[in-house]
Amino acid sequence: MTARADKIKIMRERVTSKRVVTILIVMFALLILIAIIALAMGSERIGFQAIVKIIAAKITGQSIDIASEQQVIIADIRLPRVLMAIVVGAALSVAGAAYQALLRNPLADPYVLGVSTGAAVGAIAATIFAEAISIGRPLAAFLGAVLTIATVILLGQSRRHAQTERLILAGIITNTFLSSVVIFLMTSASGLRLQSVFSWLIGDLGSNARLLPLVSVFIVAGIVIIYFNSRSLNLMMTGEEEALALGVEVRRVKAMVYIASSLITGAAVSVSGVIGFVGLVIPHAVRLAAGSDNRFVVPASALAGGIFLLVADTIARTAIAPRELHVGVVTAFVGAPVFVYLLRRAS
Amino acid sequence: MLEVRDIHFNYGEPILRGVSFDVRQGDLLAVVGPNGAGKSTLLKIILGMLRPASGSVMLEGASVAKMARRRLARFIGYVPQATDVRFPLTAMEYVLQGRFAQGRILGFESDEDLEEARRAMELTDSTEFASRFVSELSGGERQRVMLARALASRPRLLALDEPVANLDIAHQLKMFDLARRLTATGEMGAIVVTHELNLAAEFATRVLMLKSGEVRALGKPSDVMDEKTINDVFDADVLIDKNPVTGAPRITLLAMAQKGANFSLSRS
Repeated sequence: MTARADKIKIMRERVTSKRVVTILIVMFALLILIAIIALAMGSERIGFQAIVKIIAAKITGQSIDIASEQQVIIADIRLPRVLMAIVVGAALSVAGAAYQALLRNPLADPYVLGVSTGAAVGAIAATIFAEAISIGRPLAAFLGAVLTIATVILLGQSRRHAQTERLILAGIITNTFLSSVVIFLMTSASGLRLQSVFSWLIGDLGSNARLLPLVSVFIVAGIVIIYFNSRSLNLMMTGEEEALALGVEVRRVKAMVYIASSLITGAAVSVSGVIGFVGLVIPHAVRLAAGSDNRFVVPASALAGGIFLLVADTIARTAIAPRELHVGVVTAFVGAPVFVYLLRRAS
Repeated sequence: MLEVRDIHFNYGEPILRGVSFDVRQGDLLAVVGPNGAGKSTLLKIILGMLRPASGSVMLEGASVAKMARRRLARFIGYVPQATDVRFPLTAMEYVLQGRFAQGRILGFESDEDLEEARRAMELTDSTEFASRFVSELSGGERQRVMLARALASRPRLLALDEPVANLDIAHQLKMFDLARRLTATGEMGAIVVTHELNLAAEFATRVLMLKSGEVRALGKPSDVMDEKTINDVFDADVLIDKNPVTGAPRITLLAMAQKGANFSLSRS
């Protein structure tokens, strides 16, 4: 039992900046590698050299001597999708890590808490009533996310700290209610729109590329805000009163991190729909490998989440080619058993 | 060092009514009283977690209510009753968190931080757990690690909230003994909320008895721990004599006289 900490933890006693940077660099390199592999895979196999040339050309603007169909496939179809998977995977993972730290509950994530569905309500409402305003969708999703987390906390907090069962129950109840709101909203959308909304809703990384730049800004901003508070979150994970006594401005940190987490959840959901369990599985795996220090867990979850969703999406679009699985199916396949395992460990 | 003056606090009804006392360097002040007396509330007000309705708490001349949170954190080391860490966190990481107020909001620990954390763990006999998870430690081990975290910032005032509530008698003794040794050097004062009257009598320099939010007694254990006062504060019959080894007041709880029974206690 006592040896467990020494064997499993990469970080041993504690985290240092050198170890953090080293591991993050390795993870980033891995991400790039997997991204290139993902770009190569699909109904048309495209070689690595060609991929690198096409991306370079897209950045520099030069023209190259590669078949234009290949250029379109890579630059306009697969690349946005790969980037989307990375950005959304990072967003959901960091939001999960943040909710887990704030709620002191390893089972919290945007999906389990119903926050993703709340964001979806906002996004759908914006699509139906304000489609012209591009920024309306992620903003409405953000609002939905904020209202949902506030509700879940209100319902789920017990006297001293959020008990796991009570919190998860609050998440389930909220999720169920919001899902019915989603269905209601969708019935008021007409034919063609309904189809595209439905497809997006159950998890879709292949459309909404035009929103990607805007949403990426929100997500990066949110991750930065959460990272800035990661040391404070470390202390808050041991108790709010204890953190207060150690000098943490608990109220301020809570406000910043809840809002930032809702922002990134809302932004992610507004482009990719409701994808489950990423925020649950990734931070847990990161903590298992290297401990709970958020100065490592937050950036590592972002990178690991990007890798995970990218792999999941690549499986989703190539496993039963020429048809596609929904990426949410793949994440649920991995995530649901992990959730059950964690739930049993918690009680 | 710590001056508490006329603290009033309400939560619907009055919880604290005009509490005043001092804690000096070298003092170990035990705060005792029945449940609901307001002991934990008093501690939280001193720690700046709650704001009193009226009255003041001064720490080395500066008002706690106006003090920046980080400055207050460097002054006071707080050990709560119990901790519930549900994530994999090593004891060393836990103790290092005590250095938060010393550094920047975001940043990694310096060599000095590490040195102070090691020193604190040595003082509390917890060095051997440094790489073990806090959640895997026993109650006594965890308590020592919690004290180490409070000591890591070299506080002037230790605030312990029922530090031995979950400990066996050997560890109870060790904990109080350690608190006494830390204050005996004169660099710290300590305020300890406890239910353990005998340990308070043995180790405290002064005892404060709180009942219904009022100070019923304040002074040396030998002065204030007498049968009448304890009966009055705790509503319990006790017999008080001197500990044969140490000479401190020894409190023995007597069974309450049964109502209607032909049974009375006579005390000489």
